Amino acid sequence: MNPSDSDASRFRSVPTDSRGERDLDDLLIHVARGDQIAFETLYDRLAGPVYGVIRRVLKDPSQSEEVAQEVLLEVWRTAARFDPSLGGAATWVMTIAHRRAIDRIRSITAAADREHKIAQVDTPHDEVAEAVEASLDAERVKRCLGGLTEIQRESITLAYYGGHSYRQVAELLNVTLGAVKTRIRDGLIRMRDCLAMS
Amino acid sequence: MRLFRRDLHSLSGAYALDALEAGAESERFARHLNRCPSCASEVREFREVATALAFAATTAPPPELRDRVLAAAALTRQLPPDVTSRARSHRARGRARARVPWLPWLSGVVATAAVVVAVLFGFAQAHTEQELNQARARNQAIALVLSAPQAKLLTHATTEGGIATVVLAADRHELVVTTNGLPALPAGKVYQLWLMGTTKTVSAGLLPAATSGQTTPVLASGVVQGDRLGLTIEPAPGTTHPTTTPILALPLPV
Repeated sequence: MNPSDSDASRFRSVPTDSRGERDLDDLLIHVARGDQIAFETLYDRLAGPVYGVIRRVLKDPSQSEEVAQEVLLEVWRTAARFDPSLGGAATWVMTIAHRRAIDRIRSITAAADREHKIAQVDTPHDEVAEAVEASLDAERVKRCLGGLTEIQRESITLAYYGGHSYRQVAELLNVTLGAVKTRIRDGLIRMRDCLAMS
Repeated sequence: MRLFRRDLHSLSGAYALDALEAGAESERFARHLNRCPSCASEVREFREVATALAFAATTAPPPELRDRVLAAAALTRQLPPDVTSRARSHRARGRARARVPWLPWLSGVVATAAVVVAVLFGFAQAHTEQELNQARARNQAIALVLSAPQAKLLTHATTEGGIATVVLAADRHELVVTTNGLPALPAGKVYQLWLMGTTKTVSAGLLPAATSGQTTPVLASGVVQGDRLGLTIEPAPGTTHPTTTPILALPLPV
């Protein structure tokens, strides 16, 4: 797809290339009209990242599967509410997926359990490294994460992959709330610019 | 404590990563987003970064999830477009979405959704009091299958494309079939369902004409052990025995 398209900027930092993302928008629009074949294709494209991010947050495979199913059905059910002018289809779906994973973790995780999970998530960089497969997108993300300061990277991965609130992140990293807010935001700005360039 | 606007603005990153705890702060930031287009656009960009993080975590889900999701979708009514709030903020829509107490773990809940679908289909087609009563009776029978505690959900693609979704209530010896995305047939041809047993094959009725690719639920009774659900293309108005190769032969675990 021509990168100078007027709306290409919308897609610039999306993980798939602009062609892929545009296809997904089209697919989702068809899904909204009840096209089940389009939904199958959409499933094949997005179930991996949906399940992957939920699994990363929740860890437990069977709960992750449940939440992934709930998310994918919600995509089917609410596809007509997708508004391409507000962002791409992949982002819409992943926002639902992450949100649902967080809702689940916050609603079910008892304090003790929580402590245990926090203890497990102390090597965010390695976690990222282990998830990245040979794919170019993942490679790009890994490289951009590598360009952050350590505390930016840890703040972002603990929040997003670890499912921790920024207050919990502050506690884990033993820094102030203000510092975490700023580091997450600065890190995301740097990630955005890095992903846009590559 | 009241946050200054600058402090609020710095929450955009945490908000985009769902890292604000539910409550006052999160709500205040969400309100702020409505008044601050630059914050909203920043959140949008950060969500794209988050999407890249999600893709980097791609993990193949268990293969059976695919069938379950597709089958459940076939039985789940979609929401219409939200025409009144199109112009509203992304934030408002996001929140509304997150609150919808929807769907399923397959057991039971899908059945509930399917009942809604079945009932709406039936009633939409009823034009007279008598038709309405027939629709009610039919839907009641379907509802019994769908809500049977041991109901099993089966789904299978046909050799001609499209998917058949079956809810089997083994204890009632009944099943309900819907299909989605089957190819349209030329005039004079129909899709016919069969219960194909080890010793005999009986017709289970015709598939109704599809609406937007989907057929209304058909109820079949008298399912016995060893039966498979068959689907063939036959000359209208149907035949007493299959005359063509089945495009679907789904084993029924009774």
